[in-house]
Amino acid sequence: MTEDSLTRARPGKRRWTWTWNPASEREAGDAIVSNFAFHGFPNKVCKRSIATSYSFWLGTISLFLFLILTLSGVVLMFLYVPSVERAYGSVKDLEYAVSFGRFLRASHRIAAHLMVITVFLHMVRVFLTGAYKNGVHARQNRPLNWWIGLAMLLVTLLLSFTGYLLPWDQLAFWAVTVGTNIANAVPVVGEAVRFVLLGGHEINQNTLIRFYVLHCVFLPMALTGLMAWHLWRVRKDGGLAAHDQVAREERAAPAPPVKSKTYVLLGIAAGRTADVETSVVDTERHLVPAVPGLVRRLFVVALLTFAATSALAVWVGAPLEAAANPQVTPNPAKAPWYFLWLQELVTVTTVRIGGWTINGALVGGVIVPGLLLLLACVVPWLDRSGAEATGAWFHRARRRANAVFLLVCIALVVLTVVGTFLRGPYWNFYWPWEEWPAHPGRY
Amino acid sequence: MFRYDRILLAAAGLLALGICVAVAWEDARPGYAPYQEEFKSLVEERFGPERAAAVPAGLQQIWLEGAERVDRCTSCHMGVTWQGLDDVPQPFTSHPKAPLAHHPVERFGCTFCHGGQGYATELPAAHGWVEHWEEPLLDRHLSADYRFRDPLAFLQFRCNLCHRFDREIEGAPYINRGKRLIEQKGCRACHVINGRGGAIGPDLTRVGEKEPEQYDYSRLTSLPTLFGWQIAHLQNPKSYSPETVMPDFGFNTEDAQAIALVLLSWRDTDVPAELLPGAILRDVPTPEEAERERVMREGEGRFFVEKGCFICHDVSSFGIVSATKIGPDLALAVEDAPRRFGRTLDDFLMHPSGTMEVVLSKQIPLTEDERREAFELLKKAYEKHMKEQGAQDGGKPR
Repeated sequence: MTEDSLTRARPGKRRWTWTWNPASEREAGDAIVSNFAFHGFPNKVCKRSIATSYSFWLGTISLFLFLILTLSGVVLMFLYVPSVERAYGSVKDLEYAVSFGRFLRASHRIAAHLMVITVFLHMVRVFLTGAYKNGVHARQNRPLNWWIGLAMLLVTLLLSFTGYLLPWDQLAFWAVTVGTNIANAVPVVGEAVRFVLLGGHEINQNTLIRFYVLHCVFLPMALTGLMAWHLWRVRKDGGLAAHDQVAREERAAPAPPVKSKTYVLLGIAAGRTADVETSVVDTERHLVPAVPGLVRRLFVVALLTFAATSALAVWVGAPLEAAANPQVTPNPAKAPWYFLWLQELVTVTTVRIGGWTINGALVGGVIVPGLLLLLACVVPWLDRSGAEATGAWFHRARRRANAVFLLVCIALVVLTVVGTFLRGPYWNFYWPWEEWPAHPGRY
Repeated sequence: MFRYDRILLAAAGLLALGICVAVAWEDARPGYAPYQEEFKSLVEERFGPERAAAVPAGLQQIWLEGAERVDRCTSCHMGVTWQGLDDVPQPFTSHPKAPLAHHPVERFGCTFCHGGQGYATELPAAHGWVEHWEEPLLDRHLSADYRFRDPLAFLQFRCNLCHRFDREIEGAPYINRGKRLIEQKGCRACHVINGRGGAIGPDLTRVGEKEPEQYDYSRLTSLPTLFGWQIAHLQNPKSYSPETVMPDFGFNTEDAQAIALVLLSWRDTDVPAELLPGAILRDVPTPEEAERERVMREGEGRFFVEKGCFICHDVSSFGIVSATKIGPDLALAVEDAPRRFGRTLDDFLMHPSGTMEVVLSKQIPLTEDERREAFELLKKAYEKHMKEQGAQDGGKPR
């Protein structure tokens, strides 16, 4: 930027618009400051933070998926009737009679599935880059944001699970039956939790309206709040952990003196001087204005997310089985796919010795996932690696942690795949090329 | 680093736009649109442009509020209520007039009688030829699958959903035949039907509600369907459920098909009451039937009804008629026992042999007092029989 370009914006004349394509740093800054949608962004962002190879934009994609889900969901709320008599019929109407109804429903469902995947992958990315760890800036509290993230993962799963029941078909009814039966195995409180969730001992109108309100009001509000907190914390933690890495490298390598105002002299930093020092990285080399660098990429991510969701919605669609029938259990009855690793674990840990059966619901359905969640919560304190492992993929100092984490993830994925694709009637194992026994029909 | 961002943005934008256009395109051309155009030109050809202009366009549906049911069949089958299109092939054929006289389309819709998926507006789904739709269109293909001689046979079972208490349904010969057989063969001897009958077999009043998953198909050689199981089982009960005591009635295929259709129809219906004005909603026996049943239940021979002997044996002089007639008439037992077993009846009753040894020890266990009572009653039945015989032969010389 030359001196000339910086003064080109005519002073004194009020601007009502901003530019996506700023000619000067001032215009770039204006675009951030005067745009409500972007006011949460920093003026400048670290190049490495917005490199696809660092974050893969997984959190961003999740956010855009949530946006798609909210928009399509609100429209669906105008069309769906949460009663056991009308729910199935109203979904059938969406499929066959409502303009864009099928697309709307399929988009909503596909986006929900994708969101479970991207939120999970986001967590994997954060772990593998050590991004839940504090880096070199002052007043960071990344472990807190890791917790918020875990809470958001759980809320995402709950959102998906509560939405699963709403079509009121066999798939919905029995998946929720299996899912809530796993909750039943929790000692002491399990039965009460299930009772409160279902509004009784079985899935009926009470359950439907509870799930509906949770799905449309309570959980989205919770997720929105957590999301705001999460993003705010990202800013307070000094941006993505990649930025810490850049700052650390800069400090380690004797770089040309940083062209910077000397905040130290102003003496307003409350912390030690070191953090002020490190937060000032070479602007020319490492930072770019958020407009257009970050914003344009956000648009690309948003458009691609929309395109992928829509394409899958048209291509795959959303299933709708026969109307819910409490008298007929489909064989096999499967939980929603993201809980199938649990159902698979329950099966694997159910042991039969002679006439004795040790039910795996407690081990597979409660203890194992409970332990995993506990481990995830305390992992920032188990991790003894230094700040150099913050914001770097597969850092050597975290080799063992990453290996264990990856093994757990692979196990989860394998169990999920087995449960989803390779389990047939009576939960027997079937290869994809093996045919399931013919299902009896009426005629 | 940002060199390709603009190109990427443009490409992503175009991709998203392209998908939007594709979605809009698909939504603008619903599956019924080509049929509607075809119908319009057909009408123009036959009846002139004036009437063609009156052909409705867009989604057509019959909404039956009381039944929470919607039938969109007329979106394609536009000729249903038109006259003079009888010779036109489907989907535009006029509906035969007779059934519609009492079942107007706008009040009954289509799927009540025909099956199929009223919600759907595209082909395989609308006819119910898709997974997860349990009520397919009851058309000639389905009748052919079960080798019905009449291609519209399958359709008839849905008549009986509403007309189950009618003795005779016009235009439903299979159902009528099934009902006659059920009456003749005395299924009520063992089964409760509409609240009346014996308790040896399962209650059949709502047998059509039983789900396909509740049957055992392991002995069935054909495809595992509930209807196939019923036919096979009716023709040969013991082969399909070895534990059963149900006798083989020697039904031919058509008999079995007819009865199976009736069994299929004995289920709950969601027909709103306003569609059934003046319909008989319960099973009323005819006076003769009621009298016959009263005699069996309360007459001299009620012992043999209570104990279940009547399932295999007549006791003719007491007015007890067995539907199966597996065993001999017990009115003649006094003279029959010595002839068959070389023993007196009381001795045989106390120490039965052969089939009766099994029956009296397992199926109808009788105490010693009851056996004596049976003997006394059988003596009385024999005397009555002889007296009647005598009265009949009265004038004739021996």
